Amino acid sequence: MSFLDLVEGPMFYIAATIFVAAGLWRLIGIIRIGRKPDISPAKGSATGGFIKGNLRHFFPRGIFARRTMVHILGGYGFHIGLFVLVFFGAYHIEFLDQRLLGFSWPALPRWGFLLAAEIAFIGLIVLWVRRISDPVMRLISDKDDHIGSWLTFLVMLSGAFAMEQAHDSLRATHMLLVNIWLIYFPFSRLMHAFTVVLSRGNSGATYGRKGMNP
Amino acid sequence: MQTHFHMIRNYLRLGVLMLLLAAFAAPLAAQSVRPPGNAVNLDDGREEGPSNTLGDVSDTQLWDNFRGGDPADFLAAAPEGQLMTTTGQQWRLIREQYIRKYLGWLPLVVIGLLAVFYLIRGPMKISAGRSGKTLPRFTLSARVAHWFMAAVFIILGVTGMIILLGRPLIGPYLGLEVNSVLSSASLQGHNLFGPVFIFALIWLFIKFVRGNFFQMVDLKWIFKLGGFFGGHVSSRQFNFGEKSWFWMVILGGILVSVTGVIMLFPGLVDDIRWLQLSTILHALGAVVLIAVAFGHIYVGSIGMEGSIDSMLKGEVDENWAKEHHDLWYEEVTGKSAKEETL
Repeated sequence: MSFLDLVEGPMFYIAATIFVAAGLWRLIGIIRIGRKPDISPAKGSATGGFIKGNLRHFFPRGIFARRTMVHILGGYGFHIGLFVLVFFGAYHIEFLDQRLLGFSWPALPRWGFLLAAEIAFIGLIVLWVRRISDPVMRLISDKDDHIGSWLTFLVMLSGAFAMEQAHDSLRATHMLLVNIWLIYFPFSRLMHAFTVVLSRGNSGATYGRKGMNP
Repeated sequence: MQTHFHMIRNYLRLGVLMLLLAAFAAPLAAQSVRPPGNAVNLDDGREEGPSNTLGDVSDTQLWDNFRGGDPADFLAAAPEGQLMTTTGQQWRLIREQYIRKYLGWLPLVVIGLLAVFYLIRGPMKISAGRSGKTLPRFTLSARVAHWFMAAVFIILGVTGMIILLGRPLIGPYLGLEVNSVLSSASLQGHNLFGPVFIFALIWLFIKFVRGNFFQMVDLKWIFKLGGFFGGHVSSRQFNFGEKSWFWMVILGGILVSVTGVIMLFPGLVDDIRWLQLSTILHALGAVVLIAVAFGHIYVGSIGMEGSIDSMLKGEVDENWAKEHHDLWYEEVTGKSAKEETL
């Protein structure tokens, strides 16, 4: 078995299993904590607040929009770009089809894939350099934040390096980093990809029940 | 009419040549390629290639017609109907004999000079020491634009140097396979990050162009060699060195961007010599930028006490401002830098 076979085969399945199992473990654990009983009379809908809290935070408050523009554009650019290139890149669809799902869907043309990758890279780099450029952000950032950013960056960069598909070693390096990323993900703040719904919803529900806008 | 005749003649000659080659190649392919025992190699001083292909007609004349172009003029237009041009060969020679051979040394020379300067001069300390009071110098978005450009610059610099110098530097020591892998990876990464660099360049320009136009006060900076060898030099928000670096990045950045786009999309030009010229200018511009960037990094870090604060914290010590940017200090505080320092 070649190294590429290992990282695309057994190692990938183990990493994916850890990703799913540990991710679910954390999400179920958070949900099971539940909320403290609120005995005050409800002035609004907690469920409505949950939904509203999630949706409203997709848009910055007017007074902060200008001040946080770089952060907002970087964040949207990175997340949307990453989503598009992961799920609509021809290489990724082919891999998921053959190794995991057994079905495929239309892929982006190459130019679209490159554009998504460039937007994702711009967003990720902007977010990280902002983290180190802002004294407050620098202070509240810990190792986990930096490891998460760098690991994601290295996964993306190794993917970019392997695009020519001329060398198995480059593809294997990319897949090795993908596997490490999948294993690291559920134990780190990268979980915010899923927990964001719960945290925004929790705040939204609290405010919603009080009859306030989240 | 004459041009067409000339072209047809060349094609006929090429056809004859191809037929002759085929005629020679067919029996050779079926026979042993081992030369007879009494065969000798005669060195007639000519370049390698089929010889005596037209019997008594001059081979030199034939190859000259194939080659075409004017060897003395790199930018000369290729004669219509010519099958070969000399510019490709000249481009290859420039790339191999000058660009690859000498250009790669430039960043190393700069690093060496900086090391010597550091050993002799040491870091430029804030003579009055840190005051503990700070002045805001760069906004957060300006700092993000700067570090974003720095990150993209490093990625492109490393991948570009591997593409340019991988064969002579990596191949002989780590093997051609390693060089092939690194070059393939670098090329893909370089091509992907090229457009990102253009974005970074525009952002950098918008954020820093204000205050970077040259002024009369910059002449004093030039005459006093920036104060690197002693003495005080006045400057506004940016001194002559910083301004020069800014415009080098912008103009050099435009050069590498335009030439990079031409190489990424070769269909944009209809003459191969634009591509050849682009590869040379791209390498030249990029390596010069990389070399000077080391000087920028030196002054912005270990070379000058307090300067890195401006890009990490957005603030600088007041004494640093008085010493290096006294006119800017006076502008933003309304106080006299001289009186305060004295």
